[in-house]
Amino acid sequence: MASIGRAIVRVPRKVKKGQVFKVQLVIIHPMETGLRKDPKTGKKIPAHYITHVKVYLNNNLVTKINSSPGISKNPYFAIKMKAMESGTLKIVYEDNKGGKWEKAVNISVEG
Amino acid sequence: MTTRRSFLKAAGIAAAGFMLGAGAIFNPAHAKISLEEALKKHLGVGLSAIKESNEIKVKAPSIAESGANVPIQVSASVPIEKVEALYIFVDKNPNPYIAHVEFSPANGEVFFATRIKMGATSPVRAILKLKDGSYLMAYKEVKVTVGGCG
Repeated sequence: MASIGRAIVRVPRKVKKGQVFKVQLVIIHPMETGLRKDPKTGKKIPAHYITHVKVYLNNNLVTKINSSPGISKNPYFAIKMKAMESGTLKIVYEDNKGGKWEKAVNISVEG
Repeated sequence: MTTRRSFLKAAGIAAAGFMLGAGAIFNPAHAKISLEEALKKHLGVGLSAIKESNEIKVKAPSIAESGANVPIQVSASVPIEKVEALYIFVDKNPNPYIAHVEFSPANGEVFFATRIKMGATSPVRAILKLKDGSYLMAYKEVKVTVGGCG
């Protein structure tokens, strides 16, 4: 389970200024609801889920996704953004057990 | 002196007590929250205060093979500058609240896609909270054959 918190981010490498593009994200995470029982021991599995995901462009908050255990395991999120400037797209995400990770990708805006 | 009978009796009472205790502890986690309660908690308003709108599009399968992983996509033609947040609810889930997304003008347009868990056949609701304090809603009924809420 060492890979919990690993993320894959997909954005277009180059976008034209003013163009609206998609940002896609998959995070490796169990997203336990806290309602599920371990089939072997019969004990409840404690809740463990991503609470929120923040998307920054050049340190300005663009979008905050507030999540819950109602989101599937290994959550997928997609949002759109309007390309106004090149820079670093930083995605910061946290879970309810204090896990905090971040992932950054570069976006180059032309024209 | 502990006779076999009294020991069994005591054990029985202890076991019953444990189960009652366990029930009391576990029940809140299982307590179902109604859609109306979830709406009031997260939006502060009930369903009757939310207007249906064809400016919002909810894309989801009509029949989901597995409730553990239902892809949904929400888009809206409402200008992003007027929008504060987008809320997703599933009426029949133990907790209908799924997520909410806080947008900014840098998003360009209202768009959100994810994969959600569904316990049973239910409408999937997308509710837009506008900056003027009003709400717009659209929903899509998704039929679930195998629930995924564990």
